Amino acid sequence: MFDGLILLGQGIAHFLTPAGLFNVAWATLLGLAIGILPGLTATMGVALLVTLTYKMAPDQAILTLMCVYLGAIYGGSRTAILLNIPGTPANAAATLDGHPLAMQGKAGLAMGLATTSSTLGTLVGIFFLAIIAPMLAEAALKFGSYEFFWLALFGVVISGQMTGSDTPLKGYIAGILGLLVAMVGMETLHAYQRFTFGIPALGAGVDLIPAMVGAFGLAEILSTMKRTMVGHIAPVNDRVIPRLKEIFQYWKTIIRSGIIGTFVGIIPGVGEDVGAWSSYAAAKKASKHPEEFGKGSQEGLIAAETGDNAVVSASMIPTLTLALPGSAAAAVLIAAMMIHGIRPGPMLMIENAPFLYQVVAMLLLATLANLIFGLSLTKVFIKVLSVPRERLMAVIYVLCVVGSFAITQRMFDVYVMLFFGIVGFILREMKYPMAPLVLGIVLGDLLDLNLRRGLALTNGDPSPFFTRPISAVICLIIILTILMSIPAVNRRVRALFPRNRGDVAAQG
Amino acid sequence: MTTEPTIPAEDPARIRADLITGIVLVGLGLVVTYLSWTMDRLEVRRIHPSTIPGLVPIILGVALTLCGGLLAFRSARLDTRHAGAALVRVLVSWQSVRVLAVLGMALVYTLGLVGRMPFWLASALFIFTFITLFETVLADRPKSLPWTLFWALVVALGAGLGIHYVFGQIFLVRLP
Repeated sequence: MFDGLILLGQGIAHFLTPAGLFNVAWATLLGLAIGILPGLTATMGVALLVTLTYKMAPDQAILTLMCVYLGAIYGGSRTAILLNIPGTPANAAATLDGHPLAMQGKAGLAMGLATTSSTLGTLVGIFFLAIIAPMLAEAALKFGSYEFFWLALFGVVISGQMTGSDTPLKGYIAGILGLLVAMVGMETLHAYQRFTFGIPALGAGVDLIPAMVGAFGLAEILSTMKRTMVGHIAPVNDRVIPRLKEIFQYWKTIIRSGIIGTFVGIIPGVGEDVGAWSSYAAAKKASKHPEEFGKGSQEGLIAAETGDNAVVSASMIPTLTLALPGSAAAAVLIAAMMIHGIRPGPMLMIENAPFLYQVVAMLLLATLANLIFGLSLTKVFIKVLSVPRERLMAVIYVLCVVGSFAITQRMFDVYVMLFFGIVGFILREMKYPMAPLVLGIVLGDLLDLNLRRGLALTNGDPSPFFTRPISAVICLIIILTILMSIPAVNRRVRALFPRNRGDVAAQG
Repeated sequence: MTTEPTIPAEDPARIRADLITGIVLVGLGLVVTYLSWTMDRLEVRRIHPSTIPGLVPIILGVALTLCGGLLAFRSARLDTRHAGAALVRVLVSWQSVRVLAVLGMALVYTLGLVGRMPFWLASALFIFTFITLFETVLADRPKSLPWTLFWALVVALGAGLGIHYVFGQIFLVRLP
């Protein structure tokens, strides 16, 4: 307990240097701008910035990326409130009450509430990160190949189940496609090259960063430029800094949304948007005034913004302790950590324990910077919002080319970016979620290696995959998840639990 | 958990597109299964048969075939007679023209310009063309041409040279 506090104190002190604070300031401002600009997402921002941080010291590089990530998720609420367009997918729930508040002449109040609830959400997530991550890392030390195989499969399946918008089937397909991409190149057990078709550049497999820059950069540019409609910015005439009473009268909503966001963040590959929607739905169900939701409810806005920001901090729990990304942006962070020689996973607490607490410190500093900039630079951010997308998107594409080229200096990676951009755009248009695809690419090697290594250890006997306690539990969860995504099964299971009680409560 | 709740899930164009995609995915799944089945099993190295390199790809190929088949079956049940026409309308819409314009410019820039001239010049040309096209020909409310050309030139040169300087000189990133 005290060791943890000491390490946390050292982590904060580590970044309280002029260089550290300078990086926090510019990266948070950049993240806020990325979040505010419609069409630029947190994942795209983090993926593009990996290039800039390539030559930095590892701790400063991750600090910078973390500030961009958190800044972008928070910054998107501005666009949701003022333009009725979510700045990032995470802020879609914030449009429901944020924009109506702005139209009632309370844009400043809405921005103030979003800012403070984002900060509180991050703090709840940080609290759980500092408590759960060391315990999970210790427990994960007992995991073998069998458990890691199931965990990797669990990540892809649960991500597919929870992010598939039309049907979980599309989430599963996206996950399988991601896993297939990970099969390309040299496999790690026997050093055999799979699906390379005689192309030497494919020997090392598909790099995550160019694939992510394509799937989240070019695909987003195409989606943004497809639309012709541009929204109208709501005027800001009232105060931005909220009174303490305006925030803390919803303390139950804040804690509930923070816990929901934390839970969603711990589940691999689900992401901030699910955290925001789940918190919003729970707040509406528990509210004394559910009829105000969607018409400018302050409680609704607070729930959505607390939920998505709690996910950011909590997504670091599986990311750091199991190397399973808690969100798409966390997948890029894993790649960035690898580039800088930091190996996330169960061994992190043994090899580099201070780093976990440095991440906690990074999140604390980033959220503090969000709070300060968010409450003080309102006018500047409105100016950012009015940048024409025609001018911005052209520059972003050039950055996509630079970002995918710079890591290994191969034009092949630029072509990979182009390929994933086009495929990613088509998949998005057809409502295939991107998170399972990303998770599949990240976890493919882990899944493949641990399945075959486990079988090699038992001379081909698969029984330990089903008889070891943790393996059996994860396997059962996966089977139940898949079964529940079959409509006929889902209907029958729901019929066993009548919803009369819930309906009465909701109506009352 | 959709982020675009305005688009109905029963959109006939998407149902037809899902049907086509489902069939394509079944094809892809079968190809992957075949390639994985015929993949070298490394018998000469006497590896255990349960650790062959094609094991996981075979499972994934079968899973993709199954999921693609289910998607095609589901879409075929929901498909309507007018779905084909709805899909064609989406493909030849103004929005598709805008997407194709971006893609065309991106392909020419990436495959044609980058590497054949200084990066800053290639980028400036791309940005200039992109802005000019989208603020005039492809815009709903075109701006005046001299004004557009002026801003396109300013942004193109500013970004082209700025990226060259910031990335190449300050952050020491190698550019294409």
